[in-house]
Amino acid sequence: MLTSKATSDLIEGALRGESDAFTGLVRAYLRPAYSVALSVLGRPTDAEDVAQDAFMKAFASLESCREPEHFAAWFFQIVRNRARNLLDSRRLRDVAADDSKILEFASPASESAGMRQALLSALSDLDPDKREVVLLHDLENWTHAEIAQALNISEVHSRQHLFRARQLLRAKLDGDLSEHTEEHHVR
Amino acid sequence: MSDERTPKPIDFSVLDPSRNQLRWERTIQELAAKARAERQRRFSVEHELLRWARPVLAVAAALCLIVWTAGYLAHGRRTSAPVRLPTQSPALTFATWVANDRIPDSSELFGTLGGNL
Repeated sequence: MLTSKATSDLIEGALRGESDAFTGLVRAYLRPAYSVALSVLGRPTDAEDVAQDAFMKAFASLESCREPEHFAAWFFQIVRNRARNLLDSRRLRDVAADDSKILEFASPASESAGMRQALLSALSDLDPDKREVVLLHDLENWTHAEIAQALNISEVHSRQHLFRARQLLRAKLDGDLSEHTEEHHVR
Repeated sequence: MSDERTPKPIDFSVLDPSRNQLRWERTIQELAAKARAERQRRFSVEHELLRWARPVLAVAAALCLIVWTAGYLAHGRRTSAPVRLPTQSPALTFATWVANDRIPDSSELFGTLGGNL
């Protein structure tokens, strides 16, 4: 994660229309935005779309980010709102997931498809706060201090969420894997 | 909550959108360029509007002044015209008929009450 100073500098640069500043912000925050969107939506392709859409919205209203040092918190709120809007419209339309696109970026190997489904299923059993923390920590490698600042929670809460999320995910994944192995042996 | 007790990290690499580095880099570049272009386009429109705002406001103010002046002059002319008072009120006509002990016909009644036959 970028430091608050580096983020503020990039925001100032973007406000001046500097190309590198736009690229720098996208490079630093697109993947974390994807993690936050994924924690709401549970579908990688939708999460990627929402992360990009949220960036467009954020750049269009960059002036309203009054505290550039808290850009992540401001931006993640946009991501969550966009993701919830999509979730609502998805519920209304009852759209099925298009997992064919997931393979495009996730992995060409078929063995990872099962793992991906297992992970998404296990993640869906967690509450959104825990999903955000575990994804930002274990996928984005953010520290608890960074997570706490971005999610407006305390570091203690971040640690607690991570602890509980990993426990639940491990239990679910180990169960799924042993079930999978048993099925394999029966066959 | 000590870190020793915390379960091992979860391997989320299969959900990592940047695994395909080429694709991810292209996404970053395209998104940054698109966002920058959109912002520039929006601000150029706003800039144009701001540039034209002052002359447009001046013309609007002048038009308002002309319309107001014309209205004022027309209104002044109307009020200076002689006021035509009603020749006779229906109440007075009825009173005259009663005093003269006269019964009006239907056309007179209609005419007094403002109707036309």
